[in-house]
Amino acid sequence: MAEKKATTKKAPSKKEDTKKVAPVKQEVKKAAAPAAKPKAAPAAAPAAAAAGSTTQQGEARIGVFICHCGTNIAGSMDIPAVEEYAKILPNVAYVDNYKYMCSMPGQAVISKAVKDNHLTGVVVSACSPRLHEPTFRTATKEAGLNPFRFEMANIREQNSWVHMHDREGSTDKAKDAIRIAVAKASLLQDLFPKTVPVEKAAMVVGAGVAGMQAALDLAAAGIKTYLVEADTSIGGRMSQLDKTFPTLDCSQCILTPKMVDVGRASMIELMTWSEVHEVEGYIGNFDVTVRKKARGVITPKEAEARGIVGGGCNGCGDCETACPVVKPNEFEVGMKPRKAIYINHPQVVPLLYTIDFNSCVKCGICVTACGPEKRAIDLESKDEFVKVKVGTVILATGYDIFPIEKKEEWGYKRFENVITSLEFERLICASGPTGGHLIRPSDGETPKRVAFVLCAGSRDNTGTGKPYCSRFCCMYSLKHAHQIIEKIPGCIPYIFYMDIRSFGKMYEEFYYRIQDEGAKFIRGRVANIIEDKKTKNLHVMTDDTLLDRPIDMEVDMVVLAAAVQPKEDTNRTRKLFGVSCSSDGWLLEAHPKLNPCGTTTAGVFLAGVCQGPKDIPDTVASAEGAASAASIPIHMGEVELEPYFATCIEEKCAGCGMCVNLCPYSALALVEKNGRTVMEVTEAKCKGCGTCGGFCPGGAIWMNHFTTPQIVAQIDAFLLGGEQ
Amino acid sequence: MARTKGYPEALEKKLSEQRFFREDSNPEFTKNVKAISRTIAHMCYQCGTCTGSCPSAPRSSYRIRKFMRRAVLGLENEALTDPDLWLCTTCYSCSDRCPRDIIPTDVIMSMRNLAFKRDIVPVNFLKTVQAIYSSGHGVPNNDVNRAAREKLGLTRDPPTTHMYPEYMPGIRKIIDHYKLKAEADRIVKEREG
Repeated sequence: MAEKKATTKKAPSKKEDTKKVAPVKQEVKKAAAPAAKPKAAPAAAPAAAAAGSTTQQGEARIGVFICHCGTNIAGSMDIPAVEEYAKILPNVAYVDNYKYMCSMPGQAVISKAVKDNHLTGVVVSACSPRLHEPTFRTATKEAGLNPFRFEMANIREQNSWVHMHDREGSTDKAKDAIRIAVAKASLLQDLFPKTVPVEKAAMVVGAGVAGMQAALDLAAAGIKTYLVEADTSIGGRMSQLDKTFPTLDCSQCILTPKMVDVGRASMIELMTWSEVHEVEGYIGNFDVTVRKKARGVITPKEAEARGIVGGGCNGCGDCETACPVVKPNEFEVGMKPRKAIYINHPQVVPLLYTIDFNSCVKCGICVTACGPEKRAIDLESKDEFVKVKVGTVILATGYDIFPIEKKEEWGYKRFENVITSLEFERLICASGPTGGHLIRPSDGETPKRVAFVLCAGSRDNTGTGKPYCSRFCCMYSLKHAHQIIEKIPGCIPYIFYMDIRSFGKMYEEFYYRIQDEGAKFIRGRVANIIEDKKTKNLHVMTDDTLLDRPIDMEVDMVVLAAAVQPKEDTNRTRKLFGVSCSSDGWLLEAHPKLNPCGTTTAGVFLAGVCQGPKDIPDTVASAEGAASAASIPIHMGEVELEPYFATCIEEKCAGCGMCVNLCPYSALALVEKNGRTVMEVTEAKCKGCGTCGGFCPGGAIWMNHFTTPQIVAQIDAFLLGGEQ
Repeated sequence: MARTKGYPEALEKKLSEQRFFREDSNPEFTKNVKAISRTIAHMCYQCGTCTGSCPSAPRSSYRIRKFMRRAVLGLENEALTDPDLWLCTTCYSCSDRCPRDIIPTDVIMSMRNLAFKRDIVPVNFLKTVQAIYSSGHGVPNNDVNRAAREKLGLTRDPPTTHMYPEYMPGIRKIIDHYKLKAEADRIVKEREG
């Protein structure tokens, strides 16, 4: 047997081996026989349940359509040879080739052939099914067949593109791929997609500018939106910024109206100081449990519910004045103190205090300060879990600053006058800890020479930093240079850069303007920074690569344009929603170019920096895209699910329940039926991954579209050949 | 050339062809440097971190970044005939900080290897070879040092080949295996007669 396998596998690719065809054929029939048997029994049961439609596999008549894809495929293999080969495969009733199968005329070829030749199945041998499976399914459907009677053989991504210089090898491989696809197509059955209703509500996770924009758009489209924010107030990173490039709008001034709108929108339910705890369900029907962290302060609404008329927090701040506990303020990057009961900044939405229970000593002074009328403070408050049902979800979890102290040569956290750009934003901001006066942390003096270190931790392949470009540091550093020229007469900004990436609208013009204003640009990545122990001045050491001379530049202050990285909690959140991430931790879009807001989990979308570094314009655009995409299923009212779900063959099921625990989507359960314990599939939850089907010791699980007979036929076709 | 008063060679150099032609570039050089140095010498993006870190650069004309550029472009002659090639102290500061994770020091070492094959090597390097061959030390001990060591309560000679000359034959065997001493002697003789 083993010997025969070896000969039969090699044989089909050689034309002169026609004599051998006869024994090969017998071999195939033998192999196919046991495969066909189990098919007949179970196929009848689940398929009849599916739609009561035809599953009887009469004489299979398969059409094979080979695409040239211009020269993408035809340039690397012998298409006529592949075509001739396809003709001798069992069940093949028709073979054709076309320059672009996906074009309208190409699809017409399929349609006509199906009708003229009474085909029962279609094989298109072209690109990846990820690209054109929907196209050809539609063509199959239009030709009058069930769309699931279509099978794709990938001879481009997995063949011609990787074997570009091996014409013979890629031709042989294409023959193999087509033979396998035909074997499966011969056993394909009619399948009917299920539709499920979509809950007319959405959830947005993260209320930075991306999350707010997405929520506002969804709300404006008439969709109830739950906006979940981990921090005590909304606004995210953008609310920490002073001005925005290249227009120099005040960040708060353009953001506050949006924050107020979010607070007012009746369709938005704001959940601050909350995080997603658990997610169940699927597109259209996500059951999300949100953990509302113990806040210690109640809103007027909550007060009313407790029977305290006219009570609840009104944001007066008496509690804060009274609180004896002092902590560093995270919103001000630790450069300002806050109390254990606090708000981030004066414009917060919602205007509601929060107790940091990690530092609160429960002395009760704030309760007294709040008074007997408001009674807004509840020191005994606990985490609450709220369950909401939504149809679609947008993740907008944002970013953190890379801990730049890891690049020790730049001295962050060792030298007082080395700060990050986020600290610079707070120091230059009128509402910041210094009232907008940029001062040296070491002595409070106004700096006269400031160095900006670009690509601090970005474009770094050492493993310590980040290999990607953080994308907005060039532009905000230009803006910082402008701000110090404007605010501090005579102050010179020195910008140490590798490349200035000013790619956006009006960005290059902004670069021109800043150079014109007097910023000095030095092309050289900073090698290291040395502190003068007496003056606390800093020596920036680098190479002026354009002058070809090493530089020792003494400055008063250094601002590191630190790289960005995904928000700390991103990994936990993404796993709850079943979203993948790339190697650098950013969440993975469904397609980098053509589906940048979608994910591989239906009904979950991405907005803003969680998908990759973006400046504000790109973030807002991405949020609007995500909101639009997330609203489509909701407005459609129902979604079609691919009918790939598992089905239990109840006569065979022993009710052992092993599969129930294995299912990653909690789609399986044990139920009593006719006095027996059997497994039942919630089809809408099932993703057709096959974990249960592969495991089931009794062979009682039938995977639609990937049935055991179909897969066995594919393996047989590969190992044993199958030409006629 | 009367008008080149004082600097005849410098002016001649200034007026010579300066452009870089494709023929100047030898792709094999890039490959050889990569193979010998075992680092991704072709991946330099010229940020200048290496020269900025270099203790030699501020006090000499040595520019490690320039050699990295020559490695990328395959400028073999320019790299191997530049006397600056021998000014690297091999402190590895550039290698510690290179954001592309290249090891520029090893690129320099590989270029020195390639230069040596063409007999391009300063005599002082060859004299170091001779010193190691005779004493096991690039900088052998001397009387000043011996006195200093004694003052510090140390042995007059360190516990190296100075103290254990029986290990010298092994060292010589290694050097002879690569014909390093013979080559050094030959070149020194050619230069100094």
